[in-house]
Order: sequence, then C-alpha cells, then structure tokens
Amino acid sequence: MFDGIMLGLSTVLDWNNLLYVIVGCFVGTFIGMLPGLGPITAIALMIPITYSIGADSGMILMAGVYYGAIFGGSTSSILINAPGVAGTVASSFDGYPLAKQGHAGKALAIAAYSSFIGGTIGAILLMVAAPLLAKVSLSFQSPDYVVLMFLGLTAIAAFSNKGQFLKAMMMTVFGLMLATVGIDPSSGTERFTFGQADLLDGISFLLVAMATFALAEALINVVRPEKKEVKSINDSDTPQIGSTKLSKAEVKEMAPTVGRSSLLGFIVGVLPGAGATIASFMAYATERNLAPKALKDKFGKGSLRGLAAPESANNAACTGSFVPLLTLGIPGSGTTAIMLGALIAYGIQPGPMLMEENPSVFWAVIVSMYFGNIVLLILNLPLIPYFAKVLAMPKSVLTIMILFFSLIGVYLVSFNTFDLFMMVGFALVALVLRILAFPMAPLLLGFILGDMIERNFRRSMMLSDGSLSFLWERPLTLSIFIISILVLLFPLKDFITQRRVDKAALKANQEHT
Amino acid sequence: MMLNRELLGPSLFLALFTLYAIVAWQIPLLPFEEYETVTSATLPKVYAAFGIVVCLLSIGATLLKPKEQTAELAQRLEKDDVLRTFALLVLMVLYSAALEPIGFLISTSAFLLVGFFVMGERRKKILLFASIPVAVVFWFLMTQVLGIYLVPGDLWS
Repeated sequence: MFDGIMLGLSTVLDWNNLLYVIVGCFVGTFIGMLPGLGPITAIALMIPITYSIGADSGMILMAGVYYGAIFGGSTSSILINAPGVAGTVASSFDGYPLAKQGHAGKALAIAAYSSFIGGTIGAILLMVAAPLLAKVSLSFQSPDYVVLMFLGLTAIAAFSNKGQFLKAMMMTVFGLMLATVGIDPSSGTERFTFGQADLLDGISFLLVAMATFALAEALINVVRPEKKEVKSINDSDTPQIGSTKLSKAEVKEMAPTVGRSSLLGFIVGVLPGAGATIASFMAYATERNLAPKALKDKFGKGSLRGLAAPESANNAACTGSFVPLLTLGIPGSGTTAIMLGALIAYGIQPGPMLMEENPSVFWAVIVSMYFGNIVLLILNLPLIPYFAKVLAMPKSVLTIMILFFSLIGVYLVSFNTFDLFMMVGFALVALVLRILAFPMAPLLLGFILGDMIERNFRRSMMLSDGSLSFLWERPLTLSIFIISILVLLFPLKDFITQRRVDKAALKANQEHT
Repeated sequence: MMLNRELLGPSLFLALFTLYAIVAWQIPLLPFEEYETVTSATLPKVYAAFGIVVCLLSIGATLLKPKEQTAELAQRLEKDDVLRTFALLVLMVLYSAALEPIGFLISTSAFLLVGFFVMGERRKKILLFASIPVAVVFWFLMTQVLGIYLVPGDLWS
C-alpha cells in the first residue's frame, strides 16, 4: 500500500496533474453553484476535455470536479436556498436559516470545514478499504459480476425517490436496451441499427450522458423555470457573507457530529445506489435524534450540527462511492457511472485488475482526493464572496452556453453531425421523461453496464453449459443474487403500506364529506 | 378522457418496449448461433419482456391509486416556456446542420446570438459581446493553442 501511495503522490505532484486538481475543484464549484446543475452535468461537460489528456490526469480532473460540484451545491443551498445538487438539499435546512440570521460566512465556513474533514476521513477509509476489497474481488468470476451488476441496477432503482421505483426500473431497462444498439461484439450481428451506418458502433456514451444530463438539465430549467422562493444574489435581502470565523466552542460542538457523519457517509456511499443524497439525509436525521433536547429544537432553524452533519456525510459518501467503482468496476451512482464510461473510453477496464494493471490511475485518484480537499479549503473558502457572484449570471447566457458546450463537446470527439442530431433527439426524450418525473441516473447506469452484463452473462452461460445454475452454484454468487432479489422486493413493502394509508385516508375523507 | 400524467410515461414506454420486442424477435441469427443457448437476440428479448412487465405493473399500480391522488400530480407548463424550449431544440438542430457547411465561427456566433435572443435577452451589449467574441476565443483556443481541427466551412473551402 505504501508503494501505491508513493506512486499516487508522484503522479499527483506532477505540475500538470496538480493543475488539473485545482482546475477541477474550481470548475466543479463554479458549475455546482448554479442552481439545477449538479456533479453529473459538471463531469459530463468535462469529458470532451479529458479525452485529450491521459487517463490519470482525466480521472484526477473529474474527481476534482465531483468534489467541487458538491461543495458548490452547498454554497447555493446556504446562500439562496436553491441546492444545485440533491446531495446538498439537507444542507439548506439549517444553512439557509443561518445565512438569513446574518451568519452566511460562518455557514459557508462550516460547510467548507465539514466537507474537508468528511472528504479526508473518506479518503483515508478509501485508501484502506479499496485495496482490501480489490484483493477480495480478484476471486470474483463472471457469474459474480453478472449478479453484482444486477445488484447495482436494482439498488439504484430501489434507492430512488419514493414512488419512483417502477419508473427507475423502466429507465434502467431503457438504458440496457440502448446498450444493445450496434454490432454485437460476440457474434458480429447488427442489432437495432435500421441500416444506419452511424449506428454500427453503437450509441456513444458521451452523447447519452451529455443529452440526458447537460442538455436536458438546461432545457428543463427553461420549460419549467424554478417558481419556488429562490432569491438572486443581487436581491437586497440576500444575506451578506460576513465573517467566516468559528469560535472554539462551536468547533467543539460540531467535532463529534462531523466524525460520526463522515463515517456514516462513507459507509452509505460504498453501497451501490445509495450515494450522497441518502447519506446526507441519514446523517441529518441521526444527529437530530442524538442531539440533546435544547439543541434538537434548533434543527431547521440554523443549527450548526444540522449543517455540519449533511456536509461531512455527503463528501465522505462521494469518496465512498469510488470503492465499488475502483475495486469492482461497478458504479454506485450516476456520477461514478459517467466516470466508469470515461475510464472504458480510455481503454481501461475498472475492476479488481485496475490496481494491478493501472496502479497509477488507481492510486492517483485516491491521492488526488486529499489534494482536492485541501484545494477546496484553501482556494474556495477565501474566494466564496467572488464565487457567489456566479449566481448573478443571467440565465439566458448560462443556458445557451451549456447547450453550446454540450453540442460542441460531443462534436469535438466524434466530428460527426449525425451524433449532434441524435443528441438533440435524446435531449427531447430526456426532457419529456424529466417532466414526467422519471429519474435519469438509472438510464445511464443501465446503458453503461449493459455491455458488461451481456459479456459476463454469455461467459457464465457458456461455463455452465447453457444452464442458469451458475446463479446458485457458488455461495458468493448466490448470496449476492439473494441480496439483489431482496433489494428488488424492498419497495413492494412501501407500496403495500402506502396503499393501506391511501385507502384509509380516502375512506376517512368520504366519511367526512 | 385525458391521459393521466402518471399513465402517460408507462404507456409511452410500453409502446417503445413492444416495438423493441418486435425488432428483437427479428434479429437474424447466424448459422453457428442456431444451437447456442445465448445468442445476440437473447438479452434483447429478456429486456423487452422484463420492460413490458414493469410497464404493466406501473400502469396497474397507477390505476389502483385513489383518484384524488393522481389528480394532484398534474403539473401545468406555461405555453411561453414550452415554445421557448421548442425554439431552442430547433435552434440546436439548425446549428448541427449548419456547422459543417458554413463553418464553426459563423454558425457558433449565430447560434449564441439567436439563442440569447430566444431566451429573452434584449441587451445589445450582451447579445453581441457574449456571442461573437466567445466563438472567436473558443475557435482560437481550439485551433491555435490546442491544435484541434474545427471546420472552416465546406461552402468556403
């Protein structure tokens, strides 16, 4: 492990890579601050740039963007009550009231310090957990991968918002279907190409990611402008930034919260499908339950613990989500799914062999996280007042710029205008689906995992002479398969409970009238 | 009867998955695939079947929901916003079509300028300074600094 850390350090300390960490954090914060734009969009916009640099540098840049976007999302949550990212929604519960009370600077400082500690604890845990899991996963065989990917797909659907399970499943299947377009790599048969030569190589991952996230995200803000109480940074009643200093007593009050939430965030982040949003809400709820009566009442009204908990948890969860990506090659979230796609585009297959075959990528990503957290703290905190000005950028300019960068980003990789037409088509479909409240991340995950599932499924079937017995022949495969089925059935419980509640409410309503 | 918003999504997917299933069942098998358990059509067929089942479950679940609940889900979109979005989609198609024939510089400048206008921007300063200079700086960065080829325009070359 020591050799690995040294290798990662030497890679990251290269001037170019150090610059990518800084640029990544900077750009991520900038994009993450814009309401409605999250880390997935930020990373999707970066992909065309990463194609022109090496795999190590590309991954370092994207990891920096990821952190920066989460941190940027916190800033808009605190300052204008408009979380740029779902993972920072919980931060607005206490961050915005704090800002309204005139402590915006303090709230931003708490967010920055908690994120730093959460990210650092997460990075240390990742450094220990990833190599251990990578070693264990070396014994994984094709059937294990099939069920693991199945688990990843079912988990992201099961952990989607309440009532969205079936929608998430439809999106996953849609993603899997899109992955089947093109020449089948095993037999060479053309599938779903409809005679179009441009579809023979399949649909580009970059195109799908850009259309469903960057373009659809920009367009949804046009078709359904935010109507809720969101203030511009220029509004006269917008809180002033103020002092960013924290007292000793405040630090002492928050220290245990940050420690607990970081640990919780990391564990939740490792689970496929969970991620920063669930981690931040869980940490918030846990701290609220653990707080003494006097402090409990302050939650939602500007509690320091209430802000520190989701901030440290969401950053630790971001780090945790790299564990399944780097060790098993299975992304647990939409963001890591994009990174997986980028790695595959580099010709690198993430998974147990990544540490053996591409140790510089593996360790550089891990070590860059330390640097990313330091950069966020020393660069972003003093620059917050200036960053906040971003929120005043005219929406008209911003939307068109996102459309332009998305289109030209895809064009610069393929130099094929057919891709652009297809991208606009996908954006339209994604827009309609977004309006109908369909989640996008399962589509991307299904699309990226589709090819790997098919390859591993074929191999497993061949090894078991065309029988599905590979699902129960090995205890490991069977265990993961059973977990997947349980995860798949998990939302059924909610559905039945909800139906009972609905029926009771309807009955009561009818009796009342 | 107007199609409920909650039913619209699964119904659209049901139609799509059914079409996919029809095409999946027509995937030609190569001679050596005849006796294989897994062919290039196997997983597409599984996906289609699974997708159709999920759609039917979703439609069933929506129909079983009390009416009061489903009515609440309808969310209105403003006509102006829909028209603006549609205009942006058309603009993106036009930009994609114009990029190679008239070149990066002119098409991008026009795309940005018209785009800002569609978004309701009427300040001449922003319309001009956020379009042409951005296109020129981007072109300079790409072609002169990074050495990336950008189409000069088939019509002029």
